[in-house]
Amino acid sequence: MKTETKRAVNAYTFSRIWNSAFLMPLLALLTALVLGALVIWVSSGSFLTVIDAYSGLVRGALFKERGLSESLVATIPYVLLSLAVAVGFKAGLFNIGVEGQFYIGAICAAWAGQVTDQLPAVIHLPFTLLSGALGGAIWAAVPGYLKARTGAHEVITTIMLNYVSFRFVEYAVSGPLRDLQSSAVQTPHVSASAELWSVAAIPERLQDPLNALAVAMCCGLVAFLVARVIRRRRERLALARPVTYTIGRGKPARAPSFFTRHSSLVAAVVTTALVFVALPVLVRLWWPFTDPYDRLHIGLLLALVAAVAIWWLLWKTTIGFELRTVGANPNAARYAGMNITRNVVLAMAISGALAGVAGTVEVLGVSICRCLPMFFSSGYGFDSIAIALLANNNPFGILGVSFLFGAMRNGADLMELNSGVSKYVISLIQALILLFTSAPVIMRWVFRVRVDRKAQEGPLTRGWGGSA
Amino acid sequence: MSTTTARSIVKDIQVSGLRGRWWVTALFGVLLLVAVWMLLNLVIGGKCGADCVQGTLAQTLRVATPIAFAAFCGVLCERAGVVNIGIEGQMLMAAMAGYAVNLFAFQALKDSIGIEAAGNLSRWLAVLAGILSALILAALHAVVSIEFKTNQIISGTVINILSVGITGFLYRQFLAENLPPGPGTFPIAPIPVLSQIPVIGPILFQQKPLTYLMLILAFAIHYVLYYTPWGLRTRAVGEHPRAADTLGINVYRIRYINVLVGGLVAGLGGAWFTLEAVDVFNPLMTNGLGFIGLAAMIFGKWNPFGALLGALIFGLGNSITSTVSIFRPDIPSQLPQMLPYLLTIIVLTGVVGRATPPAADGEPYEK
Repeated sequence: MKTETKRAVNAYTFSRIWNSAFLMPLLALLTALVLGALVIWVSSGSFLTVIDAYSGLVRGALFKERGLSESLVATIPYVLLSLAVAVGFKAGLFNIGVEGQFYIGAICAAWAGQVTDQLPAVIHLPFTLLSGALGGAIWAAVPGYLKARTGAHEVITTIMLNYVSFRFVEYAVSGPLRDLQSSAVQTPHVSASAELWSVAAIPERLQDPLNALAVAMCCGLVAFLVARVIRRRRERLALARPVTYTIGRGKPARAPSFFTRHSSLVAAVVTTALVFVALPVLVRLWWPFTDPYDRLHIGLLLALVAAVAIWWLLWKTTIGFELRTVGANPNAARYAGMNITRNVVLAMAISGALAGVAGTVEVLGVSICRCLPMFFSSGYGFDSIAIALLANNNPFGILGVSFLFGAMRNGADLMELNSGVSKYVISLIQALILLFTSAPVIMRWVFRVRVDRKAQEGPLTRGWGGSA
Repeated sequence: MSTTTARSIVKDIQVSGLRGRWWVTALFGVLLLVAVWMLLNLVIGGKCGADCVQGTLAQTLRVATPIAFAAFCGVLCERAGVVNIGIEGQMLMAAMAGYAVNLFAFQALKDSIGIEAAGNLSRWLAVLAGILSALILAALHAVVSIEFKTNQIISGTVINILSVGITGFLYRQFLAENLPPGPGTFPIAPIPVLSQIPVIGPILFQQKPLTYLMLILAFAIHYVLYYTPWGLRTRAVGEHPRAADTLGINVYRIRYINVLVGGLVAGLGGAWFTLEAVDVFNPLMTNGLGFIGLAAMIFGKWNPFGALLGALIFGLGNSITSTVSIFRPDIPSQLPQMLPYLLTIIVLTGVVGRATPPAADGEPYEK
């Protein structure tokens, strides 16, 4: 009897895991890898090549010298761009144009960065990042506006703007923005003050008190927000607790002290002060990243913050609620008094801003000259659509899947070296992943998995018909 | 051609722009062309004489060919209610398959049947291969979007990315280096008598085979769509699938066949890239022409001749920019290259008249 119950419970747990939302992407990934192996096997004629290729892939992605940090470097734009795609999807928009917005963000940052070269670092870096974001946002807001006002479908307009932005960047880099002192066709260098610090350089950077102060203030801001969230939650719990009345002489109510009333602010100030004093000393004493050729930079932190911020925006604010409502059912949203045009434009602008930041990160963090070369190509844009779909538009899922894609992209070189298989097999595998995740029915059909209603809610886009 | 047919074709074109009598439309079109010619001469300093006009117009028809094929594919699919964003991917796939088969079939055949015959045969085999490869992708789109009812736009995007992946991989693995000499693209095939007509001849009748095929296809699709039971059913399925179903039309079957035939047409468009335009394949060579084709389709309000007109306008834009870049090398080439894409956006915003798509366009049908 007892074992039977146990078995039933086990079976139940198993079926829950088997049918969970997490399973589908995993199955898609595995199937795509198996099919990729088949392709390698057939095209090379020997099964050993498959082993060579995949082991090379893993080694290149994780275990070779600086492998892991290079994978993380590739992860950063993936996170930002797929967040951009996810924001669009949540608002019912299919932003295929992230690649173009990425380019525009990069060229805006390269231009704004070198125009404002004289500014101190504390202003220079945020200003350059902001101008990249603004460029991407405006570039993306145009198709958003056209979609909302004229019904021009964003899929085609954003793709067309992709081509326009490629040509535009080519023109700008070879023409008006060209660095005449350099023999290579590229934009002028942005001075080191706008560099996204590489991890190895952090201790040195923090010796500058202004930099230390900026970092400390960022930490203070985070502490402020965390303290506020905790406080809000405690207040809500207190409200939910049943009220008890004391008859006679209870404890006299004390007026809350200054520290209780402004706990978040106090937390912020204390954190700022502590970080400002302690961090520069601490990193001087001990810092794990000493390799000066390590390209990993603090853009990674930026990507993490962006993921949290987008999660918070979409699920914890009124703006996000409106965006999601417009995406899920525009008619209901209109009936509820939400402004469709504003929301569509806003969603595209947020999306484009994220993509623009990704472009800026490429210029300020990854490229050695901190400039935009003529034949700047990334291919990040289309991969990030696959990432967003695979992660089901969940910002935290996106972090994981982006790392997976970044690792694959980074490991591909060693794979090619190891086995002679073209590294483009990676894009084939990624396309297959996309196919299987976008049509989960195929996976269900192959693996006999039951339909999970909750996991089934797919991405939302509309055909030509309706205007927004 | 009976007068009713002629009138229906004119109507087909007219819906995509002006209304009113057909000769008003024609006159306006000619005036517009003259205006464009004068503007062109203004830019390049009056160097565009008769030869240049003739060349530009012939070039227009050439460049319009793949756009028109893509637009026809779009018409077939969307009239049945299936949005097909994957045309670009289907064309890319067909371009690669055509290129590879052209090359390798020629190698296999040239010793046995002679170089001339082998070239001809392998080119047509290549067209066939292109069509078939696009058909496979179209079948994938059909299964995923009709059978499994996945979002059609996502499904089309998947096809685009998938074909970029497949062609990129195969190209690097097999087609990037150490290639044997191939038979090249189709030679120009002037039509015996018609090509001797003074002005129209060199423009219309001294082209390559796929271009003729495209022109024929415009008539064929127009005929099928408006004069056969099949076309009526297709349009019914695209407008109101439930009503069509109630009347005993098999909605799924109609949609399947239309998407598959659309795949064949897109395959012809893809074959154009490597069998008519240039004798090389490079990844991403379709350059968004599939999407421009969709815009041409929308411009033509989902009618074959309207779509052809849209494709010709895009082709004209393209050939004019190449004429400009020949005479004025000082203008940075990237700026005129942006024009077709910007033109597409302008067309989509409905500046030239709002378009109404088939009512059930893009909606999976649940029985």
